[in-house]
Amino acid sequence: MTKTLTILGLESSCDDTAAAVVRQTEGARPEVLSSIVFGQTELHSAFGGVVPEIAARAHAEKLDICVRDALAEADLTLKDMDAVAVTAGPGLIGGVMSGVMCAKGIAAATGLPLVGVNHLAGHALTPRLTDGIAYPYLMLLVSGGHCQYLLVRGPEDFTRLGGTIDDAPGEAFDKTARLLGLPQPGGPAVQAEAEGGDPKRFRFPRPLLDRPDCNLSFSGLKTALMRMRDQIAAEKGGLTRQDRADLCAGFQAAVVDTLAEKTRRAIRLYMDENPAQPTVAVAGGVAANTAIRAALETVCAEAGAAFTAPPLRLCTDNAAMIAYAGMERFRAGARDGLDLTARPRWPLDTASPALIGSGRKGAKA
Amino acid sequence: MTSEPLVLGFDTSAAHCAAALLRGDEVLTTRLEEMTRGQAERLMPLLQEVLSEADASWEDLDALGVGIGPGNFTGIRIAVSAARGLALGLDIPAVGVNGFEARKADGSLPAVPAPRDQVYAALPGEAPRLMPRQEAEDAARGAGLAFAPEASPPGIAEAIARIASVRFATATEPPAPLYLRAADAAPSSDVAPTLLDD
Repeated sequence: MTKTLTILGLESSCDDTAAAVVRQTEGARPEVLSSIVFGQTELHSAFGGVVPEIAARAHAEKLDICVRDALAEADLTLKDMDAVAVTAGPGLIGGVMSGVMCAKGIAAATGLPLVGVNHLAGHALTPRLTDGIAYPYLMLLVSGGHCQYLLVRGPEDFTRLGGTIDDAPGEAFDKTARLLGLPQPGGPAVQAEAEGGDPKRFRFPRPLLDRPDCNLSFSGLKTALMRMRDQIAAEKGGLTRQDRADLCAGFQAAVVDTLAEKTRRAIRLYMDENPAQPTVAVAGGVAANTAIRAALETVCAEAGAAFTAPPLRLCTDNAAMIAYAGMERFRAGARDGLDLTARPRWPLDTASPALIGSGRKGAKA
Repeated sequence: MTSEPLVLGFDTSAAHCAAALLRGDEVLTTRLEEMTRGQAERLMPLLQEVLSEADASWEDLDALGVGIGPGNFTGIRIAVSAARGLALGLDIPAVGVNGFEARKADGSLPAVPAPRDQVYAALPGEAPRLMPRQEAEDAARGAGLAFAPEASPPGIAEAIARIASVRFATATEPPAPLYLRAADAAPSSDVAPTLLDD
């Protein structure tokens, strides 16, 4: 007998409060019945980054409203759900905790099973939600908070081939925008400026390309950009619009080159798995950058791998991915208790050595 | 009489998990567990225990009362988020009760301990705010009020449940944390460069 599952998902690990309803009949394509996202960009804009306490405060008063909206849009009630899935980490702990507690409240009240979901697994499984792609596939997760290559073999079977050892590219885009007086979020602003700029005028570093692994670093790039900006400003007393466009273009070119080369290496490792239909998927907000996307498509085409990127609304933080990842765990028999722990750090791949974070608290992601 | 409302009150605004179940005026169960961490894991199982000790289940509840602070920011959110999720799932009202109301006693100045020798207090005729402990103590003495701020007073959950049972029929707003202190956040230190006209 085929089983149809309808799952409610909650997400609150960064600066988006989200709830969604996803339904799937076993063997068929999953359907996103609703996906509500309340952003917080304006709450954080004065601070040049997400302020954890401000984010947590907003989540705590928005989550249940978001769930009501998601149910209403799906034209369903909690009685129609089979389980509640919630992001239980990694992320900003205040927000994660609010989401976990709200989900526990719903689960206790209704008797619905509770399933804790790793936020990164949500992103990593999205290509299955949107395109139904088969395991194993190569995933590049590239966002404001994360950057890693994952070999995805199953809903809870991930091998990290490499990742950033410091900042995520999204952070670097945001920082670049701030340094150049462009609006937040930095990704779209820097990309728009870069279109009118000369990517060859300023040569920015391509860190770690001299190493054979799939690890990346973006922290030095931010510093290099700031030095270059200060140098120009010292010479001329400011930046011309052309200087700014050229700086954006040079910065973006460095990110594109680094990601393209490391992706090439990750694909080589992935091909050792002999996948029947080699597929590379990308997720995270940085995947919206057209220059990065074009470079990745080229690299994949050269390597004979298909390239897929979920639509942007399912690429950036959302709860449909959490509902879907929860559904895969639920089908596999996973259930969490009402003592489910919210975790600030929770690497998907616990076998590979930590890239960021160490010591008593362990790997971050 | 079984028509008296069944109300569950709880609070995690400091180093504790507190819960009380009331049927009308009668306290059926009450618990106060002190803990410096782990409230997020402990709260829901504790509430279930409180219900089952009284042979009650979630569906029997008529309303919830929840402590909204002031106190530990994360702690307040744990209880408030749980209350909002429960209220949604049970389709019953959740009433937010602040820490001053929950500590109200004749002849004393309600105050909640805060870090660094401070307290949250509402001086007579003033809005509640964060102030040095000494200031609140002096004001209490001046007004002839007792002053003994406690983070985890034994009756806190019971008081919250009592207040909720009076208010739930007319409550319209969902419970929201009472922080009384802005989030620590500094504006971005990055200064945009001067733009020259080409």
